[in-house]
Amino acid sequence: MSLRTYIAKRLLHTILIAWGVMTAAFFLMRLGPNSPADKYIAGLGAGHNVTQVVAAIESRYGVDKPLHEQYFNYISSLLHGDWGWSFGTSMPVMELIKTHWIYSFQLVLLSSIFAIVLGISLGIFTAVKKNSRADHIAAFFSFAGISIPHFWLGIMLILIFSVKLGWFQTYYDTSLPLLSLDNLHALTLPVITLGTGMMAGYSRYVRNSMLENMGKDFVRTARAKGLPERTVIGKHVFRNAMLPVITIIMLDMSGIVFGGAYMTEVIFGIPGLGWMSLKAVFADDYSVVMAVTLIGAFMTLLFNLLADIAYTYLDPRIRYE
Amino acid sequence: MKLTAYYWERTKRNRTAIAGLLFIIFLIILATAGPLFTLSPTQVNFDEKNIPPPGFALEQSIYSASSGGFVTTVQQGTWAHPLGTDGMGRDMLAMLISGARVSLLVGLLATGIAIIIGALIGITCAYFGGAMDGLLMRATDIFMTFPFLLLLILIVYLFGQSLTLIILAIGLTGWTGTARLVRSETLSLRTREFILASKALGASHLRIIFYHLLPNVLSSIIVLATLSIPGAILAEAALSFIGLGDPQVASWGNILNAGQGSLRTAWWVAVEPGLLLFFTVLAFNLLGEGLREAFEPGGD
Repeated sequence: MSLRTYIAKRLLHTILIAWGVMTAAFFLMRLGPNSPADKYIAGLGAGHNVTQVVAAIESRYGVDKPLHEQYFNYISSLLHGDWGWSFGTSMPVMELIKTHWIYSFQLVLLSSIFAIVLGISLGIFTAVKKNSRADHIAAFFSFAGISIPHFWLGIMLILIFSVKLGWFQTYYDTSLPLLSLDNLHALTLPVITLGTGMMAGYSRYVRNSMLENMGKDFVRTARAKGLPERTVIGKHVFRNAMLPVITIIMLDMSGIVFGGAYMTEVIFGIPGLGWMSLKAVFADDYSVVMAVTLIGAFMTLLFNLLADIAYTYLDPRIRYE
Repeated sequence: MKLTAYYWERTKRNRTAIAGLLFIIFLIILATAGPLFTLSPTQVNFDEKNIPPPGFALEQSIYSASSGGFVTTVQQGTWAHPLGTDGMGRDMLAMLISGARVSLLVGLLATGIAIIIGALIGITCAYFGGAMDGLLMRATDIFMTFPFLLLLILIVYLFGQSLTLIILAIGLTGWTGTARLVRSETLSLRTREFILASKALGASHLRIIFYHLLPNVLSSIIVLATLSIPGAILAEAALSFIGLGDPQVASWGNILNAGQGSLRTAWWVAVEPGLLLFFTVLAFNLLGEGLREAFEPGGD
């Protein structure tokens, strides 16, 4: 199979899964005991003709139409970028997402940089110094880093550095301009909260991958040629060790955006997508919750696809199946 | 059961894995027998609110109507509440034990559900192959695409907040990883000689699946189950933390949530449940890694 057919096939697969995701979301929505009208009339005062209101809402949202027609309308409006209406804030869900995504994005971007730089450095260092005391200490800390519940870590960081030492605000200040040092300062604790677990995971992964490659024949050849150890490790081992790591990092990114970042945003009050959708849950703002879930799923698909394509470009030895 | 003894010998040599196992046993004893010895986790007593653990003191400046100004009170910890009390005067130790029950229940039951579904789907897919395999694997793809936490939030939001529902939701959404692993292991087993031999002897599909295939993938399933338990526990804690857990029971997540609100005064309310959660996750991870090493061939 050529590279082009492989990518076309992967693309087709992605579209198929995206369609499956939308279908699953639609039926999950219909399975739930609540109709959009229930939420609305619950907040309605006395003196209204409830049956009339329900009928009006059901026709406004097309819930009174036959199921297959609802399904068709749902898919078609999703594809047209109409992701529903948010009752809680009285604006289209898409508008809401456009104002909030940047906060999630900056948090995830900075945390990823933090985790990638530190995780990879630590991984290389411990692989080179295998079985030394430093390696054992690092192994202990990375195991702890993987196991620590990051939302608790965040609260402990607030307790120590905000409440006791007073170095940071306990809550994120939304009035700060995004591209400023103050904003970077405000994001320090959230980035450590979100980045620690990722960093610990990457360092273990890089270490294993490095050690695996160090035992390979081409490394022995490189050493036998008399290359300096720096070149052997930095060029021959590192480049090969990074191949699987890049895939892991890319797959992680999408998951982190909607898993880890969710809790971090809630703890620090960062108004990103996670914070927004939690607010929507408590405001019974149904379409917002659904939209964020769908975006999360689509992001995962996109990053999966990108990781696969990146891998085939980076490693020409790979066979496409 | 010679094989069990053999693997136990190998696991026993790993001291960190045994430390993890001991902590889990301690937690199980605490969760089952603990409520017999402690105060009620729901008993509210505003005269005893925010009592620190013994050895600590809480200094607070409180407005006093009788003296018409702020007076500084010092609250000393007492052994009557060995881990202190929260902002409503509830005994922390009792609440944490209740939380341990919730966490263990969720961790074991949800993982049990996920592992059984995943193993059955994985084995059936690999053994029979064909159209069903393709269909089920595409279903797995769709399932895996949803972000786990968001899917849970959506389910709890749509169907209500009860512990039973949360356990079911975590179990029913968490099987995909097991299905993948079991499928790939079974695929490599199904063409091996001993399977072909029992087929030739006329063994039924059920017999081959349950007597020949399952025992051979069991070690991977055990390792995966042990390493999946922390994920289930953390998922429940995260749900409770954001206020979507079962409001009827004290769980580590909702105690932690209350703790974040009282960081400036009663810091121990946030420290204690998180520390337990951390140790529990660590214990299962250590045990899981130890089992993985024990099951790996060679190394004797």
